[in-house]
Amino acid sequence: MWGALLRRWGRGGGRRGLSGGGPPSAAPWSQVVSEAEKIVGYPTSFMSLRCLLSDELSNIAMQVRKLVGTKHPLLDTARGFVYDSRNNLQMRGLVVLLISKAAGPSTAELSFQHNMVSGIYSSQRSLAEITELIHTAFLVHRGIVNIGELKSCDGPLKDMQFGNKMAVLSGDFLLANACTSLAQLQNTKVVELISSAIGDLVQGIYYENSRSSENCLTDDIGISTWKEQVFLSHSALLAKSCQAAMELAKHSAEMQDMAFRYGKHMSMSHKLHSDLQPFVKESSSDAMAFSLNCAPAVLHQEFLGRDAWIKQIREAQGKGNLMDYKKLQEAIKAGKGVTSAIDLCRCHGNRALAALESFPPSEARAALANIVHAVTRFS
Amino acid sequence: MASGENRAYVLQLARRFTGSSRPFLCEKGLSVTQGAFESCTSVSARASTARWKRTDRFAGCSCKRRKFSAPEQKSMCHFPQRSSVWPFPKLCSIPWRFYHTSTALMCSCSKTVSDEKYQDPFQLGRKDLKNLYEDIKKELLVSTAELREMCEYYFDGKGKAFRPMIVVLMARACNIHHSNSREVQASQRSVAIIAEMIHTASLVHDDVIDDANSRRGKMTVNQIWGERKAVLAGDFILSAASLALARIGNTTIISVLTQVIEDLVRGEFLQLGSKENENERFAHYLEKTFKKTASLIANSCKAVSILGCPDPKVHEIAYQYGKNVGIAFQLIDDVLDFTSCADHLGKPAAADLKLGLATGPVLFACRQKEPRGRLECMHVFVSSSFGHLQGHASQERQEREEYQLLGSAA
Repeated sequence: MWGALLRRWGRGGGRRGLSGGGPPSAAPWSQVVSEAEKIVGYPTSFMSLRCLLSDELSNIAMQVRKLVGTKHPLLDTARGFVYDSRNNLQMRGLVVLLISKAAGPSTAELSFQHNMVSGIYSSQRSLAEITELIHTAFLVHRGIVNIGELKSCDGPLKDMQFGNKMAVLSGDFLLANACTSLAQLQNTKVVELISSAIGDLVQGIYYENSRSSENCLTDDIGISTWKEQVFLSHSALLAKSCQAAMELAKHSAEMQDMAFRYGKHMSMSHKLHSDLQPFVKESSSDAMAFSLNCAPAVLHQEFLGRDAWIKQIREAQGKGNLMDYKKLQEAIKAGKGVTSAIDLCRCHGNRALAALESFPPSEARAALANIVHAVTRFS
Repeated sequence: MASGENRAYVLQLARRFTGSSRPFLCEKGLSVTQGAFESCTSVSARASTARWKRTDRFAGCSCKRRKFSAPEQKSMCHFPQRSSVWPFPKLCSIPWRFYHTSTALMCSCSKTVSDEKYQDPFQLGRKDLKNLYEDIKKELLVSTAELREMCEYYFDGKGKAFRPMIVVLMARACNIHHSNSREVQASQRSVAIIAEMIHTASLVHDDVIDDANSRRGKMTVNQIWGERKAVLAGDFILSAASLALARIGNTTIISVLTQVIEDLVRGEFLQLGSKENENERFAHYLEKTFKKTASLIANSCKAVSILGCPDPKVHEIAYQYGKNVGIAFQLIDDVLDFTSCADHLGKPAAADLKLGLATGPVLFACRQKEPRGRLECMHVFVSSSFGHLQGHASQERQEREEYQLLGSAA
């Protein structure tokens, strides 16, 4: 059902499933991912797609057909499940599996009898799936429109209401599945960790929302506030999942802390990396639109001062409120924003690698290090 | 008097409620009057009394009350005498509160009767629930002021707190039963809080799904802050409930209450679909009612009983009680959607009809004997289900016609 649906609206030629739309050198990235997948035993790309094949979501897919041709964001979200996406959709599950394997078997109790396949406990595999489910659920929940802000050019009201309904239902379904699987892990500490991660994620998305809906195009936030907000929206889930994976195998508190740090710093690097893409890519075509609250812009503002930055934005806006992204990009590149963002990215990358040192050398650990190298590469 | 068809129908319902394959109602108990509302209320009355243990003895009674001598036993119309009775000193009064219709009934078995003096259950639970909303707000501590405001919007103390009330009363009953303790454990109180939070989170999402404007006498969250933020607020409340659940530290309780979250979502999905076959329709409606409303109450009752008492029979009884009260509650709520006005409800009336949802009264009305009545009701049902696809103006006119039609069918 999903396949038929997506063929109908999909653009031809997208690469299937594997994470990788963001990084410029796509070949090394997909290489890293495919090697990692061999290490953990199977392709993780379609982990959350399994849930999408359930009866309830097939039902939704039938209904979502009605949305084709409308402007509801649910279509984009669904498209992103199969084709390339900048969000590296399936990366989180893979990282959780790798770190589980890198930590090795439980040293705590000899009576720790759990299934271990390819060096990973089945509970840890389940956790990886849960992480993906939660991430997907919020991707879907992000794609909801405010009915009160719709204009006539957005199409019939009923379509948007219908799209909202489908988005809320599918997101809730994925979250409910995640909760049920969490309960089956029979570990209250893990439930606590993941629930708090969901709370963090909601707050992070809330900040994202607030930024985009304000009249002024950019918030007056410094880089430290930016880091806090991005931690909530991009890092918390992965960091806490890594920690929870350690808890499932009853590893020590130090190990859990290291796993948390790896997850946190690696995902921060990743976010910085994808924010930097419009500024490091050598493309002669039209500049990509970018968020005015991306890392280089925020750093640029910090160096330049708020007033000068606002002035540059106004200059780039020109007549008719159409943003000339090329012009703004030049302005940012001329300043120190880009270089300091690159430095920040590498700094987080190094911290992630430092956290990895506590794990014994292994294929899995090397794969995790390769992931860090891939997100800090800018040439 | 009961027609063969109606009797079979009610038997089917009774079996469904209790899971028993043998009928336990006596012949007279099956007298179901033809009207839609009478059917609904008698079914719901039966549901609420189904907490009693079943017996296989099929004693024919003569519609008179039976008095029991022991103080904790109850008199019950139409139920055969029991040897062992589950003492529910404080809980029998609950169904009374929700018995709203005042239609004259041919058969008194539509009422739940009891020897117990009626005590307001909200008064009974008041001590335990005094700080309920403050405690919930503590769970919702978040730095963003607006998000906190949204989450706390429905915890202003104006809600009925119906679910927490049942939960704490059930907790007390179980504690007294097991160890004669008159205290409510902290974990049981947590369950009450969690139940209310899960319920509220589902309300917030339901309002987005149904595009509702008002609830509990004020505007909905999506109306004030927009749909995007409303969905996030619902998710946040759910995550806070989940966190509180984890902190209880009991994996069985986590499993029991997580089942609720799954059921709530599946119930919404059930509402999306509909059944062609008339017989399946009612079963489908009951299943949806269970998942959307009764599951939360049933599982929270079960959770507190697990915390209060180790006997699995007690857990099962608590579950059955919660399940049937929940179904009864929803049935009456569906009736009120027709009979009450917006001021009393706190939300717009006839909401189900506008959404094209066939609820209890509609389904019963469709089963009318007269062909004309049945035909008209089928028309109502079918056109209501697809009414939202038609144009607005014609839809409003149609709704007015349908509403009048159903009012006259009662």
